[in-house]
Amino acid sequence: MTRLLAALLLVGVLASPAAAAPLGAGPEDVANRMSGEIMSPFCPGVTLHECPSQEATDLRDRIEGWAAAGWSEERIMNELVAQYGDGIRAVPPSDGGGIVAWLLPGVVAVGGALFAGTLARRWTRQRERDRAGEDLEARRSITPEQRRRLAGELAALEARSAGQGRRL
Amino acid sequence: MSLGGLGRPSLIAASALTTAGVLLSLWGALGRRSGPTEAGRRALTAGAAFVGLAGVALVSALFAHDFSLEYVTSYSSRALARGYTLAALWGGMEGSLLFWTVLLTLFSMIALRRAPAGDTSLRAWTAVVLGGIASFFLLILLFPANPFTTLAEVPADGNGLNPLLQSPGMLIHPPLLYTGFVAFSIPFAFGMAALLTKRLDEGWLKQTRRWSLFAWSALSIGIVLGGAWAYTELGWGGYWAWDPVENASFMPWLTATAYLHSVVIQEKRRMFKVWNLVLILLTYFLAIFGTFLTRSGILSSIHTFTEGPIGKWFLPFLALMLVGGLALIGARLDTLKSKNRFDSLLSRESAFLANNVLFLAAAFAVLWGTIYPIIAEAVTGVRLSVGPPFFNAVFIPIGLALIGLTGLGPLIAWRRMNTKAFFRMIRIPLVAGAAATIAAALAGVGSAGALLAFALCAFTTVAIVAEFVRGSRVHRRRARVGWPSAVARTLMRDRRRYGGYVVHLGVVLIVLGFAGSAGKVERSEHLAQGETMQIGRYTLRYEEFVRGETPEKQISQINISAARNGEVVETLEPQRNLHKVQRQFQSEVAIATGPVEDLYVVVTAVDPDGSASIHAFVNPLTWWIWAGAAVMALGMSVLLSEAGPRTATVGAPARVHRPLVATR
Repeated sequence: MTRLLAALLLVGVLASPAAAAPLGAGPEDVANRMSGEIMSPFCPGVTLHECPSQEATDLRDRIEGWAAAGWSEERIMNELVAQYGDGIRAVPPSDGGGIVAWLLPGVVAVGGALFAGTLARRWTRQRERDRAGEDLEARRSITPEQRRRLAGELAALEARSAGQGRRL
Repeated sequence: MSLGGLGRPSLIAASALTTAGVLLSLWGALGRRSGPTEAGRRALTAGAAFVGLAGVALVSALFAHDFSLEYVTSYSSRALARGYTLAALWGGMEGSLLFWTVLLTLFSMIALRRAPAGDTSLRAWTAVVLGGIASFFLLILLFPANPFTTLAEVPADGNGLNPLLQSPGMLIHPPLLYTGFVAFSIPFAFGMAALLTKRLDEGWLKQTRRWSLFAWSALSIGIVLGGAWAYTELGWGGYWAWDPVENASFMPWLTATAYLHSVVIQEKRRMFKVWNLVLILLTYFLAIFGTFLTRSGILSSIHTFTEGPIGKWFLPFLALMLVGGLALIGARLDTLKSKNRFDSLLSRESAFLANNVLFLAAAFAVLWGTIYPIIAEAVTGVRLSVGPPFFNAVFIPIGLALIGLTGLGPLIAWRRMNTKAFFRMIRIPLVAGAAATIAAALAGVGSAGALLAFALCAFTTVAIVAEFVRGSRVHRRRARVGWPSAVARTLMRDRRRYGGYVVHLGVVLIVLGFAGSAGKVERSEHLAQGETMQIGRYTLRYEEFVRGETPEKQISQINISAARNGEVVETLEPQRNLHKVQRQFQSEVAIATGPVEDLYVVVTAVDPDGSASIHAFVNPLTWWIWAGAAVMALGMSVLLSEAGPRTATVGAPARVHRPLVATR
């Protein structure tokens, strides 16, 4: 299950637009990338990248300036956290309590799939048991003569169905 | 002339009549008496008329600039265009709640009038539930969110509507979302009434099928239009930001989509009875929960104009709905037990089950990401954030699996299918998927996620087209008609099945548009007149600066030419405007759109010397999102055009459709 979870997360990360964006190293690329990874202090609920306010543009320019001055992305992020608090990170931390945030959706998805799979298997087996019971009941309740007639009619029906299928 | 003075008395009358309607309906339900039931329905209808009058009163006050009302002052002004004056009805919390209640009472009136007359008890309980919900909203409107609160001093002008909301999209997007949310009240109420009356066959599902489809269609189109509004108005080059308000509409959409698929199993195989009730309960709960999240102020978002003091009113209502609904389902478990049997694991039934698991997992992922900051703050005291990188990481794998299943589902037969036949069916779609992957890789797509999305889109499209070809071939031979006519006959003879496939095709096109975002390019430059910048294959040149003025705003327009290979192919006119009443700058985006890519230009600042900060994007395939929505709308109209159940009584056997094309 751990492998499956890891695979799911990997696919998610690979599929995300952030992962898809070319990892340019220029100051503008760094600013573009990081503005999608931090929440805007000026437009609650959206990242800096999506915030249309002038203050957001100014902060983006400051990030570009820091990148141009040779700051690493980690240093820029630390500076932003120092100025605006932990809430500026657009994702929960990947350690401590934050790991629950990351893992729970995967656990629910995999748990749900396993539960549904178990139910489906049980229902399929139940159907097989029902069918076996029905067959036994049917064999007990009809005479050999009736069974021969039934087999004949079934064969004729199948032949007709096959003919119709070809026409379809 | 303002009818604002009629608003509050109308709400009081509506509240009294609705309460009376609930009590009479309850009397009718408990005593199974048609007299009180009919009287209750009439009282609810009269209540609806007074709610409508209150709505008319607020609209007339807005158009008459009756600034004695606080709401009119807060969300409109004399300079506001007439179309946007109407949008002010849902531009603020109080007005949008009144609009919600108008729709709720209107839909309740129609649904109760059309409910089968024979089943007094079911009709009466449905009226009790719908009337109870209306009473709650009327209580909110009378106390914490009164849109008719008057001001002691009447100002000469109002504050105007938020400039972001002054967009044509805002005239349609919120009403459609509300229509979707509110219309789910009808299947929810019928479901609860079915539980209360123990009429738990497929009757209530069939009775509310069109309402469910209508609600889902309105919500779907409303969500897409919200994306279109964000794309054309907000100026960040995207259409979906996983903002809590967006999530609030997306969560019930996910559970409702699971419900629409799951009811097919109950109707065809009489299975999933409990599950369907849980799904409709969850859908309606999430619709109200989303309203609570976004309007209580518990979460902050870009839509802060909707915050208000109503959270504590919603909490007990939500608790009653969830606990009461689940307790009712629990109490009826014996009656609800269906003989769940799968003939084979490789069957359409299994595909529907997998579909439900994925939709529910997706709904949980969105819900979890939306409420995690609240939980984290409650536990640790530190405010954390959950933004797009989290949602993309957890949602996209589930979304891709759903697209794959959308293609697989129609290829798998009901009851059972042998693996040999299955592999024969998926052979051509698989080849199409592989071909699309290779083509996309050769075209320069480097993202693994985007390649997978293109592969699944091709797989699913070919699977759906193959279904149409198989169906149409039969019509061609039997009726001796051409392909177009045969396809039309296929669609119209089995609207539920093929209309659903058209909706699926629309979803695939939307996903194609999403996948295109992997190739998005953006650049920012500060340009003076005559200067150029490069973005993707385009050279943008600042041609001209144009100033203008209207009663509402001062306009600064930058005319930009876009050249490709030295030839001018587009002229774009983005604006940076100052809205006078709000003293707020607002960018008007310019987009040159096409099936291959959009060139998207926004002016983020204009200096006094006329030089401007330009933010430009090249967004590949975004056009397909809107095209996909149009295809979805076509499929929805086919589904909705299917005749409703002819049976006069809820619970009576439905008429049998004999499909012209044999279902595998």
